[in-house]
Formats: sequence, structure tokens, C-alpha cells
Amino acid sequence: MSRSVTANLKTKYLVMTKKVIFIILALYTFSSWSYAGGGWPVPKGGFYFKLSEWWLISDRHYTDAGQIDPNITSGIFNTSIYTEYGLTNRLGLVVYFPFLSRAYVNNVVSGTTGDLLIAGDAINTIGDTDIGLKYSLTPQGSIKTAVTLTLGLPLGNSSGGSQQNLQTGDGEFNQMLSFDAGTSFSTKRVTFYTNVMMGVNNRTNDFSDEFRYGLEFGAGFLDRKIWIVGRLTGVESFKNGATAAQVNSTSIFANNSEYTSYGAELSYYLTSKIGFNVGYASAFRGELIFANPSYTVGVFLDFTK
Amino acid sequence: MNIFSRAILWAIVWSFLSCIGDDIIDDRVDPVLRITNAIDTMEINTNYTFEALFLNHVGKEEVITLEWNTSDPDLMRIDPDGNATALAVGVVRIGVKGIAPSGEAVQDEVPCVIGNSTVNNLKERKAIVKTTSSYLLEGDAVLQEMEGGFLKLSLAENYKASTALPGLYVYLTNNPNTTAGAYEIGAVSVFSGAHDYELPSEVKLTDYDYLLYYCKPFNVKVGDGKFED
Repeated sequence: MSRSVTANLKTKYLVMTKKVIFIILALYTFSSWSYAGGGWPVPKGGFYFKLSEWWLISDRHYTDAGQIDPNITSGIFNTSIYTEYGLTNRLGLVVYFPFLSRAYVNNVVSGTTGDLLIAGDAINTIGDTDIGLKYSLTPQGSIKTAVTLTLGLPLGNSSGGSQQNLQTGDGEFNQMLSFDAGTSFSTKRVTFYTNVMMGVNNRTNDFSDEFRYGLEFGAGFLDRKIWIVGRLTGVESFKNGATAAQVNSTSIFANNSEYTSYGAELSYYLTSKIGFNVGYASAFRGELIFANPSYTVGVFLDFTK
Repeated sequence: MNIFSRAILWAIVWSFLSCIGDDIIDDRVDPVLRITNAIDTMEINTNYTFEALFLNHVGKEEVITLEWNTSDPDLMRIDPDGNATALAVGVVRIGVKGIAPSGEAVQDEVPCVIGNSTVNNLKERKAIVKTTSSYLLEGDAVLQEMEGGFLKLSLAENYKASTALPGLYVYLTNNPNTTAGAYEIGAVSVFSGAHDYELPSEVKLTDYDYLLYYCKPFNVKVGDGKFED
């Protein structure tokens, strides 16, 4: 999960008495990728740290025809660190590191005899990791813009387990360039913001490149102690990579995936620097992606102010 | 213990508590008893041993007590082990029956002409492959007994399969609900048009009743086709 936009908003609101814009791209993928967001990188020397758990347990998926079909239940749990660090007042370093990623698939048991037909399996590894640089283009404008370059490092396992069907990563090195624009305004009691994001994700190893987009709305209450965020995010595949017909390997799983998802997140600052958040996301259309909702819970440290 | 230590501990415990569970599938099929080596014509005054295969309610072979009979003992005599003797020219029906362990009565019956030579015209079985999922799968298939005793599975020109699935495999099975007990032919590498698979001589024409397409890595059934008798 990317750095909480709410942390950004609170920080900037307190530091500057200006309208603030925060940008976030929350990705809903089964591998729990995430990217940095925010019109402002963290101020020079400041940092934001978040420890979170993200999980998805799925017994159905969107097929290539966009229909929902059942599958044997599988799950993935990512325990991750997300951090942002301000290199300058306009340039920020962003790291997402799932230091424990667990993927499993259930046993298949005969409903007639009770016999074990196909044994389940699980792997525990580190997951694919993202490192990004975010540069604020218009830090002073009323509409804040930023570009982010994210490198997706394939540190996870793309074919684990006895059947090589368990994944904590996709096995490819990708580079994503994204652009964010957003604005915000405040009333006496509530701070609102909205943000749009577009990006192109260049993938290697015969994976299709992707167009990614996102739209986010957020509102802060109780002196910005509580933030409620709603998101619409999506991926459109260019479908210019290999198909299973060309590469008969499980590592090609999730290639040509597409989805549009909605999500919500609630963040609460326990103190001025420590808080927690909970989140939910689910896809309402997709191709070749799990169709069950994902959840996240996390605690964060906010030393950006 | 501060909040982050607690959170790390909780996250790790939560991850490892996400244990492998059980997915129960409905794999029940009707028990079947079938004569596996029927012949069209049997030479008069010769012997032939008929064989039968019983498949239980999950499509697994099981041994049960069989009773053999013919429609006309004056034309053909058959003993409890399926050993038949052709006595006179004519047409008879050879039957076999038994009781499945689950209590159902099972039986099969085939016609046989008694003539001047023994002939078996069953050299192939056809199936229409169709999707049982949202993935594209369609086409005609034929399982043929070739000279040399091996089988060839041929998919026709009208065959099409989705290229989206990784690890699509094709099987021969007696239970189209699962790959358990199935014979794995191999990974699908052709996704449209005519193509063949050569099978080893251990696999017989009447061993399996279904062709099954299955996404092996993700345990998703894609489609099947039942071979005609």
C-alpha cells in the first residue's frame, strides 16, 4: 500500500496554510503492487514509514471473456514496509518492500469419498519490490502535478511450489512512468481532495505493457485526524506480450490482466505522528484477475513535518 | 512492546495462520460397467474372452463380481469369466451385470454376429469437445487405434481453445470433474486447427470415456468431451 495520502494531506495542511493536493495510485492487483503518490514529495529530510498487511483470498476469477469463473481457493498475504523519504523538497524516494509474502493454494478434496485429490501447497518468500522517484512539477500551483518513475524489481518467486503454480511476484522487471494531478479545498471542518493519475507501465519478459489510471477522492475530519478515502483504479493491457499459446508457462499468469476496481480506506492518527489505517478494494470488471476483494491493515509513522 | 513491534508480530502470525484449507469438489459420477473388448463378428467354433471394466462413483476402476450371459445360449455359450464359445451362425447379445459397492445395479450389453471370421470394426471413438467454463474451447476429436497398437488423438480443423490460460493440459479420464485418476496426455501447445497427440500402446481405445481440458496450475476445469460408445 502506498504512503497514505492522508498523511500527506495532514502534513502539508499543517505546514503550509495552502490548499494541498495529494496524489495516490492504489493498485489492486493480486500481487499487491503499490506505487507512490502525492503531489508533494516528502519535505527534505522527512520520512514516512508504514507497516501493513495486505491479503487476498480468492475462489473465483475474471476470465479472458470478462466472466467470473470459480477456481480452487488460493491466497496471498503480503507483510510490507512502505516508506517515503524527502531527498529534496521536490524529489522524493519511495520504496515498497514486501518482506514476507505468503502464497498458498487449498487442497482439493473429493466430495464423494473425502479423499485428497490434489494436495495444497504454500510458499513464503519476499515479494516483488518497488523503488520509485517522485518529482513535483508544480509545487506552488493550485493544481499540483508530479511525475513518478517506479521500478518494479522481481524479487519475488514467480513459480513456486511443487506445481510451480504459486507466485509472490511476476518474474519481470518493469518500469512505470506516471503523472498525477490533483487539488484540494477545505471548509471549516472538513478538508477535501481529489486526484487523477495516468501511467504507462513497461514490462519485460514477454509481459504486455499497461496503461494505468486512477481517480481518488478523500476527506479529512476532526482536525484531520480521520481520513476517509475512496478510489477508482484500473489497468488496461496493451496486449502486446506473449500469450499462453506462445509461452506455455505458469509464469505468464496475470499477463494481459485488466481490471477496474473500487476501494475505500480509513486512516486514523492516534497521535500527531502515529496512526493506523484499514482498507478494502474489489474489482467490478476484469480479465484474468482474481475477483474477490482484498483487504489491508497497517500502522504508520509520519515524520514528514 | 511498542505499536510497531506488535504490528510486526501480528502480521507475521496472521500470514502464517493463513493455512491451507480444503476445497471440496463434487466429483460424483454414475457407476459404469462396460465391455471393453467387444467385437462385431466372432468366428464360429472359436473361443473369445470378453472383458469388462467397472468404474465406481468417482470413475475409478474397481473389481466387482460379474455375471456374464448371452441372449441365445444355443448360438453362443459364455462362462462366469467371460470366456465365450461361438456355437452357431446368428446374432446374439452378450451381457454383463453386477452390483456396485454403493448398491446400484450396473450392466452392459453388446451385439455380436457369429460368422465365418472374427472381426472388430471398433477402431475409433469420436467426441465433441466443448467448454464448461467461460474460456473458449470447442471442436471435434477422434481417438483412433493405429497400426502398431498405439492410439492417436486427433483434434479437427474446427478446434479452438483460449490462449489466455497458462498451463492448459489435456487428459483422458473417466471422471470429467477432476484430474485425479486421469491420464495426462500433455500440455496444450496448439490453440486452433487440426493437430494430433500420439499415445503409448498402454492406453487402450476403451480405457477412458472423456477428454478433459484443465488449467493444471490453477486447478480450473476448462471443458470436456465424451467419447461416443
